[in-house]
Amino acid sequence: MLALLGGAKGPKPSRAPPAYVANYEPQTVDERGLWSMADEYERELRDSSLVMREEALDGYVRRVLCQTVGDDRCRAVRIYIVEDPRFSASMAANGTMQVHTGLLLRARSEAELGAVLGHEFAHFELRHSLAGFKNRRSASDALAWVQVLGGISRQDTRDSEFTLISSFYRFERAHETAADLLGLAYLAKSPYPARAASEVWQHVMAEQDATAQGRKLKVKHRYTADYFATHPTELNRAVYLLEMAATLADDGDPGVEGHRAAITPHIRRFLNAQVRMNDFGGSEYMLRELAARGGWTGDLLFARGELYRQRANPRDLVTAAQFFGDAIKAGYAEPEVHRNLGLSLLRSGDVTPGRAALSKYLSLKPEAGDAKAISSLLKD
Amino acid sequence: MRAMTLPLLIALAVTSAHANKLIAPGPVTPIAKSSFSAKPAGEWNRLNLREGKHTETWTLDGPLLNRVDFFGGVAVGQPLFREADKKRQPLPKVSSGMLITDIPVLLETTYRAKLRAKRLDINEQEPAMFGAAKGVRFTYRFVRADDDVERRGEALAAVKGNKLYLITYEAPALHFFDKDLARFRALAATISF
Repeated sequence: MLALLGGAKGPKPSRAPPAYVANYEPQTVDERGLWSMADEYERELRDSSLVMREEALDGYVRRVLCQTVGDDRCRAVRIYIVEDPRFSASMAANGTMQVHTGLLLRARSEAELGAVLGHEFAHFELRHSLAGFKNRRSASDALAWVQVLGGISRQDTRDSEFTLISSFYRFERAHETAADLLGLAYLAKSPYPARAASEVWQHVMAEQDATAQGRKLKVKHRYTADYFATHPTELNRAVYLLEMAATLADDGDPGVEGHRAAITPHIRRFLNAQVRMNDFGGSEYMLRELAARGGWTGDLLFARGELYRQRANPRDLVTAAQFFGDAIKAGYAEPEVHRNLGLSLLRSGDVTPGRAALSKYLSLKPEAGDAKAISSLLKD
Repeated sequence: MRAMTLPLLIALAVTSAHANKLIAPGPVTPIAKSSFSAKPAGEWNRLNLREGKHTETWTLDGPLLNRVDFFGGVAVGQPLFREADKKRQPLPKVSSGMLITDIPVLLETTYRAKLRAKRLDINEQEPAMFGAAKGVRFTYRFVRADDDVERRGEALAAVKGNKLYLITYEAPALHFFDKDLARFRALAATISF
């Protein structure tokens, strides 16, 4: 890939995206079929209880998309923000864009969010989802069966679905490169710096390494792709995107503050979903990352305490109690911080201060759903 | 094609219907290969599902509409369910010295990991007797990633001899949960371990 990009015949990043065709309608039988599938999918998504319906947040994501790809392009896109702590965004053939909350939490700036959204939009603009549609029809039949059978057995079919979906939505390697190039062209034209695209992949890699370390697995990032045989690896991608961004010499304000302001009202919810994913290494890395940008706020300290409290080694409980204490000092005012502090202390054998913290929780929130269970811990 | 054959076969093997069994009213023992025993007043169906070493699943109308799961004595260091991928998708484990309020958290983190439950809220928690042990009764709501149906759950749990005993009842929040809640509670009241 690097050789290809460096070669004379390789793709060159361009400053100007091609002219955009608005109000595109599907042309062929296959394309109409694909669109009607996407329409059906969008109807389900629209009614899904997992879609966050927060006007300000929706408006923010739309603003970033529009600033990245331009107003003419973004107009027709419908954006759905889905509560899912994993890092992902996708775009269907009919212009449905799905953005996971995990992406919002991980993006460090408007520019990084824009880089991911722009990349997905580029697949849409280049109509990559149509290519190889016939192969994918067989995958979707199998997918339907896996879902039916998995639903009965409550087997977690998500991984096999993921395997199938990744073949379903898998684009040719050339497509990925084309989308990267067009995505970069959007960024170059936008107020955001083009290097953001490379930075996204660097963070993804660092977090994957942290997750692997937390699970005592080997840490490795490769230049050669295997599982996503048609995707360039993250490492490869981070490198070539950085090289191309350098040739564009495109600078600008990445919009760190704007991004932080947009997600702050929801950060508790996002962090809660993240620390309950049973991924100690990845979550710890992410919290450190967030803290490196804006310092250890009460929200971050509370989430970190929860992370340690859940792992629950004796040393973790001591550490957790310390983080909850720090969160209180940093101004975290939700009553739950006293409960979790008390529970951590109690499990560490610090009965008196533990019960004092629990009593404080009960006095602050006497009507809490768990009030009866907590008060029973004060007695024994 | 090969990539999709294996999960299909596994799913088929797991769901082969012939080994499900009718549970007649009267004493049932042992349940979930554990010291659990119960005395249901009505008929239940035991599914041929074994999601963990000490689990068993009963239903009235099928597992998507209502189900009771027994977790009979999960030892410290063990997960609630069998881990499909120990290395990459580990499940949270029972830890020593768990307080009653740690049990709902364990269920939540397990569900988020195993069922990819995207939303799960623990609602009420109160101390309750489970069998002859002091434990906790709690209620929750969740949405599984695969079917987007809002489900409600009620559970009874206790730690006895450093092992976790847990029984859950889950059904769609719409209509089904309330329909059979009383039957679950009646069943739960007969459990001993």
